[in-house]
Amino acid sequence: MPGNSETLRPMKNKIKVYRAMHDMTQEDLAIKIGVTRQTILAIEKGKYVPSLDLAFRIARHFGVAIEDVFTYDDEPRTVMVD
Amino acid sequence: MKKNTFYLLVGCIAVVLLAIFWYSVDAEAPLIIEAAFAVGAIAIYLARRKVTDLIEDERSARITEKAAMRTMQVFWVVFCAFSIGAVIRLLDTPSSFGFPPTLRPSFPPSGVIQGIPGHAVSPLRSFGYIQLGLLCLMIFLYVGFRMYYARKFGDFETDEE
Repeated sequence: MPGNSETLRPMKNKIKVYRAMHDMTQEDLAIKIGVTRQTILAIEKGKYVPSLDLAFRIARHFGVAIEDVFTYDDEPRTVMVD
Repeated sequence: MKKNTFYLLVGCIAVVLLAIFWYSVDAEAPLIIEAAFAVGAIAIYLARRKVTDLIEDERSARITEKAAMRTMQVFWVVFCAFSIGAVIRLLDTPSSFGFPPTLRPSFPPSGVIQGIPGHAVSPLRSFGYIQLGLLCLMIFLYVGFRMYYARKFGDFETDEE
């Protein structure tokens, strides 16, 4: 299948933590920011890196800066990219 | 319009198109199915804009985009290879382009592939069948790539909630 290996710094996020702090389900957050619940799940699991626009929307929804929610992993690792 | 209503509508359009296809075959009028297919596709696009439920966000758009791009990367090579071969075969049969019968080549005899009694298949028709087969291949390729990227972008992740 398509894809090459490349060393990247995967993005980590604290969406789950902020959701718990705001007592929100994935569905609630998804509806608020206009995406599907599966997208929230994929972002939380690190399977999908959101666009800058979506990242800002998530951070603003929680009332924090984008870097509070999304951070780069300190340990680079080899991942499959397209 | 609800998402499920839209999917139901797409199914109905597909069934109607299938019926029109066979009517078109029966009436030997390809223009009917050609026009119906275009109208059906436009109807689906218009209906899709009326859907109020969220059926696409940036992740699903990305999955669609990646799958379509990969499908095209594979498909254009296969399709062009076949089409170039088909053009060469057609150039090899001048009768197909209105040349006088005296210039017809010995193969295929009278522009007809023999072997099936009562069912002579002209080269042009066989190219049509193969092209239809290639289009089916494209659909299978697209579905395969779509499943691959959907899985890659977390579509089949299990939920903890």
